[in-house]
Amino acid sequence: MQLVYPYDFRLTEKEKTNICYLSFPDSYSGGLGDTQFSFRLRQSGGQRNTRFGEDGEYNTEAPLTLQRESAHYFGYVYFRQVKDSSMKRGYFQKSLVLVSRLPYVNLFQSLLQLIAPEYFDKLEPCLEAVCNEIDQWLPPVPGQTLNLPVMGIVIQVRIPSRVDKPGSSPLKQINQENLLPAPLVLPSVYELDLFRCFQPVLIHIQMLWELMLLGEPVVVMAPSPAISSEMVLALTSCLAPLKYCCDYRPYFTIHDSEFKEYTTRTQAPPNVVVGVTNPFFIKTLQHWPHLLRIGELKMSGDFPKQVKVKKLTKLKPLDTKPGIYTSYKTFLHKDKTLIKRLLKGIQRKRPSEVQSALLRRHLLELTQSFIIPLEHYIASLMPLQKAITPWKNPPQIRPFRQEDFMKTLEHAGPQLTCVLRGDWLGLYRRFFRSPNFDGWYRQRHKEMTQKLEALHLEAICEADIVAWMKDKSEVEIVDLVLKLREKLVRARCHHLPVKEETLQRGGLYIETIIGSLPEDLQAVLHHP
Amino acid sequence: MALRELKVCLLGDTGVGKSSIVWRFVEDSFDPNINPTIGASFMTKTVQYQNELHKFLIWDTAGQERFRALAPMYYRGSAAAIIVYDITKEETFSTLKNWVKELRQHGPPNIVVAIAGNKCDLNDVREVMEKDAKDYADSIHAVFVETSAKNAININELFIEISRRIPSTDTNPPSSSKGFKLRRQPSVTKPRCC
Repeated sequence: MQLVYPYDFRLTEKEKTNICYLSFPDSYSGGLGDTQFSFRLRQSGGQRNTRFGEDGEYNTEAPLTLQRESAHYFGYVYFRQVKDSSMKRGYFQKSLVLVSRLPYVNLFQSLLQLIAPEYFDKLEPCLEAVCNEIDQWLPPVPGQTLNLPVMGIVIQVRIPSRVDKPGSSPLKQINQENLLPAPLVLPSVYELDLFRCFQPVLIHIQMLWELMLLGEPVVVMAPSPAISSEMVLALTSCLAPLKYCCDYRPYFTIHDSEFKEYTTRTQAPPNVVVGVTNPFFIKTLQHWPHLLRIGELKMSGDFPKQVKVKKLTKLKPLDTKPGIYTSYKTFLHKDKTLIKRLLKGIQRKRPSEVQSALLRRHLLELTQSFIIPLEHYIASLMPLQKAITPWKNPPQIRPFRQEDFMKTLEHAGPQLTCVLRGDWLGLYRRFFRSPNFDGWYRQRHKEMTQKLEALHLEAICEADIVAWMKDKSEVEIVDLVLKLREKLVRARCHHLPVKEETLQRGGLYIETIIGSLPEDLQAVLHHP
Repeated sequence: MALRELKVCLLGDTGVGKSSIVWRFVEDSFDPNINPTIGASFMTKTVQYQNELHKFLIWDTAGQERFRALAPMYYRGSAAAIIVYDITKEETFSTLKNWVKELRQHGPPNIVVAIAGNKCDLNDVREVMEKDAKDYADSIHAVFVETSAKNAININELFIEISRRIPSTDTNPPSSSKGFKLRRQPSVTKPRCC
């Protein structure tokens, strides 16, 4: 590692080693020139705090899929390899890596495209200047359009928000004729060209979506880190708005510190999607249930050649042909209309962005059809509003019972919103065992608990405290003050969905109550 | 009212007061102990000019030698360049002439060039005569003002003059404007040895 900016950014030795290996193609790929790819690595100790210390607020407003990661880093790489006789090895080989906790692949790769060529040319001062400029960027706020000045241009991009309508197009191109020079407008911080990524596997979209939904262990073996990382990121993004909760490694090498953990045969393969390029992995990951082997894109006529589903026993370490090696049978039937529309699009030379939008909408609708019944059911577990009273602890959320949920499917199942047929019940049952269900359930449970707390607080603040105090002892009143105070602090720290008004009213109540107490107690309560 | 965004870069030797000029213009403040700029800093300010709003996207570049090679990123696509020198330091005026040459060779065509002789509050220790600078500026059709970021002299005027020189979008074709022509006429362009 030649240079780290900013200087005070501390990485552990393990992280450094991992970043170094992950920043270069691990097998000779002959492809000279510039290439870009991404990786994700586990944080190992070191600094936990982020610069802004405002994860809480960002993470509650950002879509779940774009939350700042707390235990992983993303690495975005721009790698250059050109012949250079002045170098000992005859080549100039260097990577510029951007490390972040944010999954803004599109923004950061576009940024690297601007910075890296200048950096390779103008060296350290360039990086110093760029980092200084980036330092002045405002922290991302969901729902806002950011103007990011860097190297003489302004990048404009909108940070999505959780309240966005899913599937809506993010940035409307305003009339920019008068702008000189026009800012670089990115249509999205994170969305990849899904169609381009999925070209060789279009007819298997249904299977891939199910494998992702169920958090199955999947190996993506690709000819280059660029292809492997794009494929892995495309796969994990295809569950949106549902968050893919398992680990994923867009590019993974044999030198990675998690190599042993992932390749061990003493345990079942972990719920991970790994993107690799080194053929050695075919041997080490032979026991994994699903392997997607993609080659360089081949065309048959106008159409991108589609890989076939093959038996795992056909896997040959040295000569593995493109294919999906698995014995998995999809629960749902594939959507032939979608495939026809995509193929027709190719024939008509429809732009890739339009094809991607089509694909993304299909996946979004599929995920929503699947998740809506779950959302309905979990919402029904929330206690009734009238059960929330000011002078009792808030009521409990009822437990999630899978069988109860299954019963709701008869009337309100995915068949209402989705034409796909097949074994939906089987799919739900499998889903319950996956980390994605767990992640989804925890998230919802947390939100509901916070909602309950907020409602409870509101109930207290709307109650007639003076009337309640009449026949209460001092001890009970002091207890109320302390509890209410604690609740207000919690509401602020955890960003509970409470109106500022309510919080202020709560504060006033405390003052009123304290004012009604004897002076000695007042003094104690005012200075806790 | 139409909004126009105008990219403007500041060039010039280190310590001549580029950042101070920008601070005075944008924030109307002055700090005598400002740190040297690293790379470049970016600020914007919108002002009304006739029936248009001009939003200046100001790239205040570092004057230090080690950032010299980065300058093209900032003057690329600029509508105007403000080249600043310090009237109390002769050598900063020579640096200015080098910037003019560089812009002529590599800068955008029709860029408006403005020359600002800063620190005019320090008349006692002046090394560059106002007339010499003015004559030079006229010879290259550049805007010229002596400024003091410290005493807020001619700072707004500098930007108003730039607004005036920017070719307007629809009424006049760019050729009729008083824009500074950096490109030599093709007929004169002959390969020269050095």
